[in-house]
Amino acid sequence: MLRVEGPTRFVFAFLSMPKIRHVAWLLALATGCWLVLLLGTLSQGRSVLGLPPDWPRWLLLLAQGGFAASIFLYARLQPDALSGHGFLPLLRRLFWRGLVLTALLAGTQAFVKLTAEHTLPLPGDATAAAGYTVSLALFIILLAQTLYVWRSLVNFRGSDRLQREWTAFELILGAALLFQLFVWHVPDYLLVAVVVGLGLFGVYLSGHQRWVAYLSQGQKLQAIMLQLGVLGCLSAFLYVLRGAQSDPALLAPPTQQAFLVLTSSFAVFYAVAGLLVTLFNLPVADVYEQRRAEILSLQQLSQIIQRGQTAPEIYQALFTSAVQTIRADAAWLDAQLQPTEQLGPLPASLIHELIPSDLSALREQLTDLLAPQQRELIDNDLLRSQRLTGLSQPYGSAAVLQLRSSTHDYGLLVLLKKEQSGFDPEDLSILHTFTTQTVLSLENLQLAQEARASQRAQDELRIAALVQERLIPKHLPTDNWFEISTYAQAAKEVGGDFYDFLHLPGQRLAVLIGDVSGKGVTAAFHTAQMKGIFHALMQPNPLAKKDRERYPDPHRFMVLANEALTHCLERSSFITASFYLIDYEAGGFSFARAGHCHTLYYHSIKEEVSYFRSEGLGLGILRDASYGRHVKNQFWDYNPGDVMVIYTDGIPEARNANGDEYGEDRLAKMLGESFYQSAEEINRHIRLDVQEFSKGLPLHDDQTLLVIKFKSAQPQG
Amino acid sequence: MGPIMKVTAQPADTTLTLVLDGELDASSAVVLDTELNKPELLKYKKVLIDCQRLSYISSAGLGVFISHLQRLQDSNVKLVFFNMQEKVFNVFEILGLDSLMTIVPTEQEALAA
Repeated sequence: MLRVEGPTRFVFAFLSMPKIRHVAWLLALATGCWLVLLLGTLSQGRSVLGLPPDWPRWLLLLAQGGFAASIFLYARLQPDALSGHGFLPLLRRLFWRGLVLTALLAGTQAFVKLTAEHTLPLPGDATAAAGYTVSLALFIILLAQTLYVWRSLVNFRGSDRLQREWTAFELILGAALLFQLFVWHVPDYLLVAVVVGLGLFGVYLSGHQRWVAYLSQGQKLQAIMLQLGVLGCLSAFLYVLRGAQSDPALLAPPTQQAFLVLTSSFAVFYAVAGLLVTLFNLPVADVYEQRRAEILSLQQLSQIIQRGQTAPEIYQALFTSAVQTIRADAAWLDAQLQPTEQLGPLPASLIHELIPSDLSALREQLTDLLAPQQRELIDNDLLRSQRLTGLSQPYGSAAVLQLRSSTHDYGLLVLLKKEQSGFDPEDLSILHTFTTQTVLSLENLQLAQEARASQRAQDELRIAALVQERLIPKHLPTDNWFEISTYAQAAKEVGGDFYDFLHLPGQRLAVLIGDVSGKGVTAAFHTAQMKGIFHALMQPNPLAKKDRERYPDPHRFMVLANEALTHCLERSSFITASFYLIDYEAGGFSFARAGHCHTLYYHSIKEEVSYFRSEGLGLGILRDASYGRHVKNQFWDYNPGDVMVIYTDGIPEARNANGDEYGEDRLAKMLGESFYQSAEEINRHIRLDVQEFSKGLPLHDDQTLLVIKFKSAQPQG
Repeated sequence: MGPIMKVTAQPADTTLTLVLDGELDASSAVVLDTELNKPELLKYKKVLIDCQRLSYISSAGLGVFISHLQRLQDSNVKLVFFNMQEKVFNVFEILGLDSLMTIVPTEQEALAA
């Protein structure tokens, strides 16, 4: 595409047309001009189709110039042949086109020769003139094709300045078309000087052979062959046209000598220069410099990663490397797409030559532009695609890359260049290396942080296990009128089971069992709290008139405990508990259940195993006075030989390999099988059965099992 | 990591139905908590919890409902459970939650509750 500095309103108006209309106009113009040229050539020295003979020279030159201009403009409007393709396919395509054109040329020449030898009944000189016009047209087409392939190669990784120089070169070529039209009497030496000067400009441009540095050894060989092929085609045309011009039989029309000489010498020279550079690996200094910069950036990036730096440093390294290596005019790295705790604080945005309003404009348009699964977007012609508009400065090309692993979005890198076709496949592959490296290191960093966090969690668990271990009563109350056996097993992750006993004066025994929701340190903490509440509430009240009223009854105990917990339990936590106050003198016990598992009981007179099914809400669920209505005090008269089994939900909810739960029924059955034994033996019988049930599986939850058996003996002392 | 639980929200005029599918334990409780924490939840008159495919609930899972109970009550949003499997209902019952929360057998009853 013409750059904006390409002047005149006409050009501007032309450029603002849709591309398809350009092409149609240009092809129509080319065909028209060629027909004029053909007729004019045929009319040399004779009258054709009743038209006057010997057309003026300027008309022929104009027709020829118009044809050349429209063919060149047409080639110019084709999308940059290099973007998205390699160098070799580009050269190969040029070579094949050249070959086809040369074949057409050969066909034309053969036809002319046949008519000249009178094998065909056609006027020989007219065919020669027509053949010459066709050959000239083919040559101009070949030159246009070659020139615009060379343009892609010259501008490959070229600077903004180089692009301007190229445009100037094109304008000069355009001016050369007008040269012979208006300047009639120029001294020869001046003409030569101008042509040589322009030729030198072409030589200078031919020095831009950066692309050669990106070829592998095998590709170089192919490139040489292809360039030789292109040179061959060009030489074939030059040979034929030179011969035709000096052919006395042909009344050759004047040619656009300056333009053709200039263009073809540039075309040939660029091919030759490329050939030499490829053959001898002539150093093209800044190419190697650029390659070195890429390698250095990559090294820096990996060093930063090895040193185990922070996420902001990794992002900064990527950003700097990308901007410098690609020579972006503006850039933006948005790291805050999906912040993670493990990576710590992230830089809000890394910005190069952009203002805040640009960022919001980019952000808005990129969300629409990038499909969720799309990893990158290259737009080498923003002016035409009308993407990323509304920025404070006009940009010609953009590359957008997502920093993404299979699981995580680490950010978005946007690079902008003022020139069009700023990003070639090599740039993209470098950027890919950068972003892949960055994503890898961010992922590593995240893994390292997670490992550290899990170490901390393990330490916490150890502390919690220690706390819980210390909270388990070490000395069981003993007396003649009851037996107690306990079993407690913590699951791998510390749970919140707890139990405690207190021997009260007057042959009374307080028993508390419970389970704190949640696991780990918090659970251990609440367990300790619950133990504190238990011992605080079990202090004798000196104001109580009757001995029995010195201690709170189970209902009152739960209400007070609930109130105490209201202030220290987080909203989603709760505690289940059962509290028993056993009185030997009264031969009975009172108890309250706060959401805890039902008590299993063996009734020795009825010879029956059953659960005390009663209502009762867990602690910490209702945090106001209404809680009292949801918990009940119950009484039971026991008989010697009765057995009470108190446990936490880890027992009935123990699982086997099929995922089935142990269940209350099986628990009751176990008591039915063992009630006549000692408390310790009953406990073991149940415990072994639970272990058998979930054999080989890790403990799902804490298990606590208390067995209390009432005996007929008198209390001691 | 326990099996993942799926929560599907089915909004209607005045009721929001949350369909639970899977096991509600400490790891999946977060999903449900996020759902119940949404401010727009308080627009509804009723939040129905479809427990047909809820196969297990741990104390952490119960904790999610408990922690939102007061907030929903204060905003006059009724929380109704239905289609609850027996095993899961037992857990609610043992903890005494059946006296605080509305648990009904079918969706029709839940809509009428």
